[in-house]
Amino acid sequence: MRCIDAYRFICDNLDQSVDSPECREIRRHIEGCPDCQSYLDSLKKTVVLYRAETSAKSVPPAVHRRLMKIIKVNAASRTPSRKRQRNSSQK
Amino acid sequence: MKTPTVSALPEQELLRSAAAGDRAAFAEVVKRYEDTVYRFSLKLCRDPARAEEVLQDTFINVFRKLGTFDGKSKFTTWLYTIVANNCLMKRRRRKLDELEDSLEELDNPSTDSDGKFARRVARWDETPAELVLKKELRTVLDAAILKLPPLYRAVFVLRDVEGNSTEEAAHILGISVEAAKSRLRRARAFLRDQLDPYMTTRGGQ
Repeated sequence: MRCIDAYRFICDNLDQSVDSPECREIRRHIEGCPDCQSYLDSLKKTVVLYRAETSAKSVPPAVHRRLMKIIKVNAASRTPSRKRQRNSSQK
Repeated sequence: MKTPTVSALPEQELLRSAAAGDRAAFAEVVKRYEDTVYRFSLKLCRDPARAEEVLQDTFINVFRKLGTFDGKSKFTTWLYTIVANNCLMKRRRRKLDELEDSLEELDNPSTDSDGKFARRVARWDETPAELVLKKELRTVLDAAILKLPPLYRAVFVLRDVEGNSTEEAAHILGISVEAAKSRLRRARAFLRDQLDPYMTTRGGQ
């Protein structure tokens, strides 16, 4: 078993446990290889960092107000009478 | 239908009412799902102004196309598809081919003749949760993920950050599961390598 084989396994499965003779062999390699352990650990921490950094964001009130205004304008422009007016004015 | 009742409607009924033109029901759809859309847009675009633009474009699309939602997939999956289209398709084409080539090289890291990593892999010692609060790190995270081509970033965000399955991520982005898997693998490896200098020089402090 070599680091390069473990690398592909680590990158594909991260912390998912796949039970097959090949995977067991790869896990044994990782357990005894400091480089592969560090690599797996750093890959997991990469995911944790990106998961944590934006988890609490909700829509700011001003953004919500502008969104509702745009939807309202859009809805109004799609009523039949307005649509006809717009179409005829474009021609 | 009166406004006070829409907030209590189950999802399917709410969506049916909104699709039928009930304004109050549509406002409730916005209220229920705007945070999901905004967060996903922020994670993909990494820019509040751009995320707001995508949020608006997405709900305008939802407003126009809600009648075509067939309920076969989860509503959030359908929403993610619209957000991804809005966020990814509009982006300016950059030197994507060059980037894709360099990402493919990540499938084969340099190893010695015994297949061992050619360079020692340094440990990341600090706890990520503590680091997230540091503004400096946020800049590093932004810079790293913005270097990824949009589709790679989208697979990573959908699968690893938002917690969808690889199959769902592939479905949302309209690519094969195999293509999603290889992009995910390279995106993770790329981001890890980008963060490595920061994490290993600060780790021992």
